Amino acid sequence: MNHRPFEDWLLEDQPLDPTQKRELNAHLRNCNACRAIAESNLALRSARVVSPAPGFSARWQERLVLARRAQRRKTLLGTLFFSLGGLLLLVLLAGPILVSLIGSPAEWISALVHVLLFLYTTTLAVSEAGSIILRVLPDFLPPFVWLVLLSTLSGLGLLWSVSIWRLMRRPQGATS
Amino acid sequence: MNEEQTWILQAKNGSDEAFTYIVETYQTPVYNLCYRMLGQPEAAEDAAQETFLRAYQHLHRYDIKRPFATWLLSIAAHYCIDRLRKRKLPVFSVDEDEESTFEIPDAQAPHPEAETVHGEQREQIHTMIGSLDATDRAAIVMRYWYDFSEKEIADALNLTVSAVKSRLHRARKQLGKLWQESSTTAQVERSPYESPAF
Repeated sequence: MNHRPFEDWLLEDQPLDPTQKRELNAHLRNCNACRAIAESNLALRSARVVSPAPGFSARWQERLVLARRAQRRKTLLGTLFFSLGGLLLLVLLAGPILVSLIGSPAEWISALVHVLLFLYTTTLAVSEAGSIILRVLPDFLPPFVWLVLLSTLSGLGLLWSVSIWRLMRRPQGATS
Repeated sequence: MNEEQTWILQAKNGSDEAFTYIVETYQTPVYNLCYRMLGQPEAAEDAAQETFLRAYQHLHRYDIKRPFATWLLSIAAHYCIDRLRKRKLPVFSVDEDEESTFEIPDAQAPHPEAETVHGEQREQIHTMIGSLDATDRAAIVMRYWYDFSEKEIADALNLTVSAVKSRLHRARKQLGKLWQESSTTAQVERSPYESPAF
């Protein structure tokens, strides 16, 4: 028999019947390549299991305490960041109203009317400009650009949601 | 439900004591896999600790119907594969100061010389494993140290069974070649000290 089936038996680690074992042993006496595979297989089988240094679970508990502390810090920072961001946005949007609230009622009413008028005219202007853009833009932009724009916007939205989720989630058991 | 599953369920419900029991039960298999994958005791200790931390954090995802050892060793293997890929150059050494890494030949053994040879062979194979691709290495370690079937290796490493077969086949061939080369080198190195020619 030629070399190939013996090499395949060894490389595929197939169970052999007594006749095959005898044939393989005879082949191994003459074939250095197959003997090397057989010996390395044998060395792998006789390799022993290595244990960690004593006190592994105590060291793990210390690591768990550190991980919990880091997780708490991360959650706190995330919450703080989003809360401050939200607060800042609120102050920026509600700034004019807050300023007018501090003043006299006449000024307040006048400021409110101004703000409402401003919002109304801005909305009208934006919607008019938007409708013009939507009418004109499709002629200028090819469909694949729309596709890219929409994909980018959805990707950014997804990234934003995932970031919030990752910052806010609490891992299993890390609550105590 | 067996005792292990009871501990796992308790750990899933937040019992630190139950998870500590799991750490104590599986510390050796996890550490051994990390050591065989990374080749250094310090890196193996760090990887094993990280494996248990990840298992603790994601225990809610563990499906109680699957074998826990497969799930845990899968985390360890993936972590080690990532570490090896991040390492630009493979660092694989036989560490002299790790008391449990080297096997001192047993003087009381019937054949102390044979014991030494076996010890050398074990370290030789340990060093050779370091030359394998990270995933091939994980497959070999799971096959020979944990007696995992090809299906179990495939599940643990997210591969198909045929991919596992092919990886094991390739890894065995490579190890055989390295074994042959190192045997030839050893013979050449030894020859000057052999009996003088008459």
